[in-house]
Amino acid sequence: MADRKQPRLPEAGQWPDRLVPAALGVGALLAVAGFLMAFLFAPPVNGASVNGVEVIGGQVVSNVLLLSQKIFYFHMPVAIVSFVALAFACYYSVRFLMTKNRRFDTCARIAMEVSLLFVVCTMITGDLWTRFEWGVWWTWDPRLTTYLILMLIIIAYFILRNAIDEPERRSVYAAVVSIVAFIDVPICFMVTRVIPSSIHPVVVREGGMSADMGITLAVCMVGLMLLGFALYRTRFRQVRLTERVEALKEQLEDRMSDVR
Amino acid sequence: MEAAIETRRLSKAFGGRRAVDNVSITVPRGAFLSIFGPNGAGKTTLLRILSTLARATGGTARLMGIDLKEEPDRARDHIGLISHNSMLYPDLTAEENLMIYARLYGVENPRERVDDLLEAVELKHRRLDVVRTFSRGMTQRLSIARALIHDPDVVFLDEPYSGLDPHAMDIFDELIASVRADHTFVMVSHDLQKGFDMCTHALVLAKGRVVAFDQKENLDFGDFRSLYRQTVGMGVA
Amino acid sequence: MAEEARKAPAAPHADAGGDGRVDGASGRAGATGRAPAAGAAGTRQPVRLKKPSTWQQYKTLLGKDLTQEFRTKEMLTSMGIYALLVLVVYGATLAQSGGQVDILQMSGGLLWTLIVFTSLLGLNRSFSHEKEQGCLEGILLVPLDRSVVFLAKATSNLLFLLAVEVIAIPLFCFFFMTSVPLAESAPLALAPLVVGAVGVAGIGTLLSTITVNTRGKDVMLAVLFIPLVFPLLYACVSATTVVVVGVEGYLDAFVPAMALAAGYDVVMLLASWVLYDFVVSA
Repeated sequence: MADRKQPRLPEAGQWPDRLVPAALGVGALLAVAGFLMAFLFAPPVNGASVNGVEVIGGQVVSNVLLLSQKIFYFHMPVAIVSFVALAFACYYSVRFLMTKNRRFDTCARIAMEVSLLFVVCTMITGDLWTRFEWGVWWTWDPRLTTYLILMLIIIAYFILRNAIDEPERRSVYAAVVSIVAFIDVPICFMVTRVIPSSIHPVVVREGGMSADMGITLAVCMVGLMLLGFALYRTRFRQVRLTERVEALKEQLEDRMSDVR
Repeated sequence: MEAAIETRRLSKAFGGRRAVDNVSITVPRGAFLSIFGPNGAGKTTLLRILSTLARATGGTARLMGIDLKEEPDRARDHIGLISHNSMLYPDLTAEENLMIYARLYGVENPRERVDDLLEAVELKHRRLDVVRTFSRGMTQRLSIARALIHDPDVVFLDEPYSGLDPHAMDIFDELIASVRADHTFVMVSHDLQKGFDMCTHALVLAKGRVVAFDQKENLDFGDFRSLYRQTVGMGVA
Repeated sequence: MAEEARKAPAAPHADAGGDGRVDGASGRAGATGRAPAAGAAGTRQPVRLKKPSTWQQYKTLLGKDLTQEFRTKEMLTSMGIYALLVLVVYGATLAQSGGQVDILQMSGGLLWTLIVFTSLLGLNRSFSHEKEQGCLEGILLVPLDRSVVFLAKATSNLLFLLAVEVIAIPLFCFFFMTSVPLAESAPLALAPLVVGAVGVAGIGTLLSTITVNTRGKDVMLAVLFIPLVFPLLYACVSATTVVVVGVEGYLDAFVPAMALAAGYDVVMLLASWVLYDFVVSA
């Protein structure tokens, strides 16, 4: 029994954890700053413009100057963070399939959780924006559709995890689904973008941003990225510690039975 | 001559859990190894690793001298598995089922081989019947033929008796005895007496670890049973 | 030992397909010398293995699925009847919409709704046979490439799906389209139907392999399948609708939609093909 090497315990709390408080603080600060800048610094802009005057959802919509555009500074970074989190989940899933190391499965799962949180935020902000800008609660606009599908896939990912009992099989299946999801989402965006649905008018957004807008957006983006990172690490630490406790419990039980 | 099965510090772990933990055993050719242990002791996992259905995470396992991790496909030619699942398609006939496996393995003269086997398991008269109409005992016999179609060197038996009535069990034993001489067998069974009677080597696992591994000559059934009881107690704790 | 002598020549040609032919001849000679009533299964007559080509293994696996289906007709009848029932439901839901134009505009969407839900039913079934008696494990014990299992299963699913389309689409036309003038371009709708079926069968095979091992597998397949197949569905509905309606310049919409659908097929089939080994071995 003496030569039997101890099973390695799931470790937690490496160096990135030390960055968490800083990331959280700076992220929150930047996000608030960006929020203020959006109202005080960035100039008001034309909202989404429609070719001439169109009827959307029973309301006449034309080129309008709206305060609701401000939500864009929040909306877009959130959307990007959610996609970045999904990309990380896919990366960790690939690593998991290559190594079968449970650590990567945990990473992928938590990245998915973060992604889900940010996707839900994206959906809410996006929907508020559509409501006030276009006067409709929902349209099958490419971005909205893509994010709806993305949200459904991530929810399916968690439902799948819940529906399998064997831990290894669960991890493998979840990894496969997250990789397929990551491939699916860009295709979904392209498809809904290129093929216009016949019912709604094509909404053209004006490209280009002024420097003020760009700075505000960048501040928000960095802030939210840092927040996303802090959330990820905190959650990761928590889950890993739980796993560590479980492993320790099992070891203890082993010892007890060995002694007897 | 290489041993039929040789494992060195074989482990399978996922996260903190170790289903198989540092198992090192050597089973000579022609042996009959019975694996005992309480539920969750890692018997089935060990069997799955040795039959290439699962991959070990640590250590090495060699079957007929072939490393299971390096060349699983080459090892598969030497492996047959009979389990409590028949692995037969219920809507195909006995002959069709065997032909599928014969073709997949690339057996030469598959039709002849299938005929021989059907005769050996005394199912020739039913060869054109759909497997769904077979009794449990007949299905299990056909399942033996399926497992032996490519004439494997090592035959794994995973709880082969579950669902068989005593008569079918006897026929099963007879069939195994008739092929016993040329094959190495590895069996997982809950039936302590039966497993002990048939084996030449016995392995007791608990929590994935080897509790006892020896030739039968060195073991006395009474002692063995008390050891087994102790092990089962360990599993429950 | 005789045992060793047997495996020594057997081992090398078991993995070298090229040399197999030479050994194969001697193997046949040995086999003819075998007593026809070889007693027990284990009487150690040499059983020679010659590694079959991937194509042969694919044919065997596909043939197995088709034989099973021809015998039971389980998939085709259940899918066919389900499709018919969906059409009956359409009958009730469309009873109040009078205009012919409406039907024409909606036909692509209705048709694809029918296909997606019918294929879900078939995909759910496709692995239940393999799981029932542990047959999938039996196949995994054979030295063969795991992607062959995927390709064979995807092909059989595709064939069943196409068979159901062949039955359901004429019925759809019979029930709903007889009073509507079809555009000249309508036959082009075959392209999205085939391309769509390929994609559905491909990703569906991967997902049904996953969901067959889960609790509540029927719902689970739908939950995974519908969002993942959404882009393909969107493209195919668009392509089908434009050619059925046949508006001026329909090719401008048809070609990009078909290109995207085909792109989805290629990407997803490749991904499924690569990932299948992990899924089926887990």
